[in-house]
Amino acid sequence: MALALETSWLGTLPYGAALARQLAAVEDRRAGGPDRLLLLEHPAVVTLGRSSKAENLRTTRAQLAARGIEVHEIARGGDVTWHGPGQLVGYLVADLAARGAQDVSAWLRGIEASLMEALAELGVPSRRIEGMTGVFVAAPGQPRKIASIGVGLKGWISYHGFALNVTPDLAGFDDIVPCGLYGVTMTSVAHELGCALALGSAEERAFFERSRARVAAAFERALS
Amino acid sequence: MLTIRVPELGESIAEGTVARWLVKEGERVERDQALVEITTDKVDAEIPAPVAGVITAILAQEGEIVAVGAELARLEEGASAGAGAPVASKPAAAAKPPLPAPASDGQRATPMAKRLADAAGVELRDVAASGVSGRVMKADVEATREARVRTDAAPKAAPAKAPARAAKNSGMQDAETKARFGSYAIQEGDRVIPMSPLRRLVAGHMVYSKRTSPHVGTVAEIDMGGVSLVRDKHKTAFEAANGYGLTFLPFIVHATVRALREFPALNASVLEDAIVEKRDIHVGVAVETDKGLVVPVVRNADRLSLAGLAAAVEDLSSRARSKKLTADELKGGTFTISNPGRKGNLYGFAIINQPQVGILRMGEMVKRPVVRAIGGQDAIVIRPMMHLALSYDHRAVDGAPANGFLFRVRELLETAEFDL
Repeated sequence: MALALETSWLGTLPYGAALARQLAAVEDRRAGGPDRLLLLEHPAVVTLGRSSKAENLRTTRAQLAARGIEVHEIARGGDVTWHGPGQLVGYLVADLAARGAQDVSAWLRGIEASLMEALAELGVPSRRIEGMTGVFVAAPGQPRKIASIGVGLKGWISYHGFALNVTPDLAGFDDIVPCGLYGVTMTSVAHELGCALALGSAEERAFFERSRARVAAAFERALS
Repeated sequence: MLTIRVPELGESIAEGTVARWLVKEGERVERDQALVEITTDKVDAEIPAPVAGVITAILAQEGEIVAVGAELARLEEGASAGAGAPVASKPAAAAKPPLPAPASDGQRATPMAKRLADAAGVELRDVAASGVSGRVMKADVEATREARVRTDAAPKAAPAKAPARAAKNSGMQDAETKARFGSYAIQEGDRVIPMSPLRRLVAGHMVYSKRTSPHVGTVAEIDMGGVSLVRDKHKTAFEAANGYGLTFLPFIVHATVRALREFPALNASVLEDAIVEKRDIHVGVAVETDKGLVVPVVRNADRLSLAGLAAAVEDLSSRARSKKLTADELKGGTFTISNPGRKGNLYGFAIINQPQVGILRMGEMVKRPVVRAIGGQDAIVIRPMMHLALSYDHRAVDGAPANGFLFRVRELLETAEFDL
C-alpha cells in the first residue's frame, strides 16, 4: 500500500524548535495526518540518546556552552552525536503500523538503504556494517561513518531519523565519540569527493542543495 | 485484566531497558496514552496503552533489563481509578475472560504471530495481546508458548545479583580504565556480534566475581583407578536399569559433598563483614548448552546416594540442554563443580560462582605412569589420573582448610568406597 510522504525543507532550526516540530508532526500523524520527512540543518549542538554514556562526551558541558554549543538529552536510541551547519538532518515521522512494517530493525535498514541510494547518486559508494546502525563509506581501512541514524517510537509512530554529513566542519565531532563507536571516524560527502567547500559559500550551499534533493528523492521513492 | 508486555520491536531486538515510567500504579490512562519508555541500543520506544483503563500493577522497575514479551504492567480495561487500593481488588477479573480484545473468535494478530501460533500449536484466543488495538504480536505468542513449557530459565542462570549496570555493560571497564587502555578499533572485515542477554549476564557475573573475590587456585592429582573399577563393574547394569550412562561426575559430586560436610568453610558465603557457613549443601553443576553456560543446582546433594546423584545430574543436565529448567533450579547453589570435559584440558581454574566461596573444576582423565609402592618396592604403574582444581575465595578461606578440603576429596575418590 503506497502511503504519502510529505517532504519539507525547514532551513536552519535550533534543536528545541525542531523537536517541537517533530512532536507536532507525531501528533498530527496520530490524528490521521501524513507521514513526513522534515529536512533541516541545526546550529551546532550535541545530543545524547538514552543509551549515551557520559564518557563519550570528550569535553565538559561548560566548555561546550562557552563555545555556544548546546547539549540536549533526547528520547531516541543511540549514543551521542553532533549536529551542525553542513549536515543534512532528516526527521522522519512515519506510522510503521499503517505501513504494515512493525519492525524497527527493518525500518533502520530501510533508512540506511535510502541514504545509500542517494550517496551512490552523489558519487560516494557506501555500505552498512553489521551490528552498527548507520551508513559508512565503502572504502577499505578503518570504518568512516557518513550518516548517523537513531529513531524513537511513540507506539508505532517513528520519529527522529538520520543525519547525513554533507559539507560540515568535521572538527565538530572532535568533542564526542560519535555514537560511542571508538575507532570509527566521521566523514562527509564533500570530504569523500575531495572538495573543500567553505561553509556558507555559494558553492557549498549549491552542493548542499543538490545533496538534499537527492536524499529527498530517495526517501520519496522508497516511502510513497 | 490485560498484561502490557515488551512489544516485539524488530527482528534483532531481544530486550530493552525500562527507561522511565510515565504513569503510576492506580492511574487511569486513555487509549494510546504513553505508559513507559523502553530503550534499546538503537531505538527508544514509548509503549502506549492498548485500551483505556487503570494501571493496576507495574511489574518492571526503571533500569531493569526486560526481554521482548516480558511483563511490564497490568491494565484493568475500562475500570475507573477508584479510591482505595486498586491493586488489591480485582472483582472484575473473575467475571471477565482474560482477553483484551472484544472479538474473541476473530482475535487480530500480525502475520508473523499467526504463523508462529500455527507452528507452535497455540490458539490465538489464548494469547494476551500487547499490540496496537489489542493485536496479537509474535512476542505474545512466544510468551504464551514459553509459559507452557517453562523454558526461559536461562537468563536467570547467574546466581549472583550482579548489578544491572554491570550486566548491561557486559562487565566492561569503567570510563577511566577504558580511557587509559583504549578500546579495540573495528577493522575492515571484522564481524561484530552483539552479546545475547545470557552472554551479557555471564560476562557481568564473571567480572563481578573476579572483582569481589581474591581467587586462589590449588590443584590435586587424583588416581581415578578405584572409581574406574567401581564404574566399570556397575555401568552395564546401571545403564540397563536407568536408561542413561553412569559418568564420573556423580562420583566427584559425591566425594565433594562429603568433604564439604567436614570442611564447612568451603560451603559458605561472605556477607559484608561476616562469613556464613551454610547448613544445607546444594551443589551447582555447570552445564554447557548451545545457548551458553548454565548452572543447575542439585539440592541437598549430601542426602543423595551415588545413584541419586547420578539421576539428579542426568535430569538437570538433559533439561538444561532442552531448556526446560525452571528458574528455581538455577538458584541457591552453595558450591559449584565445573566439568568442561573436553580433550586437551589438563586442568584450569574456574571463576567462583558468586556468592559462593569455592568451585572445583575437573580436568581430563588420562592414563599416566605413576610411582606406587608394590610389596614394599617402588614401581612405575599405569593409572587413570585426573587433575581437580579448586578456586577459593581468600577473603573467607585460608590455604590450610582449602588444601585440607581438596585432599579429603582426593582421599574419598581414591578410596572409592561407593555404594551402588
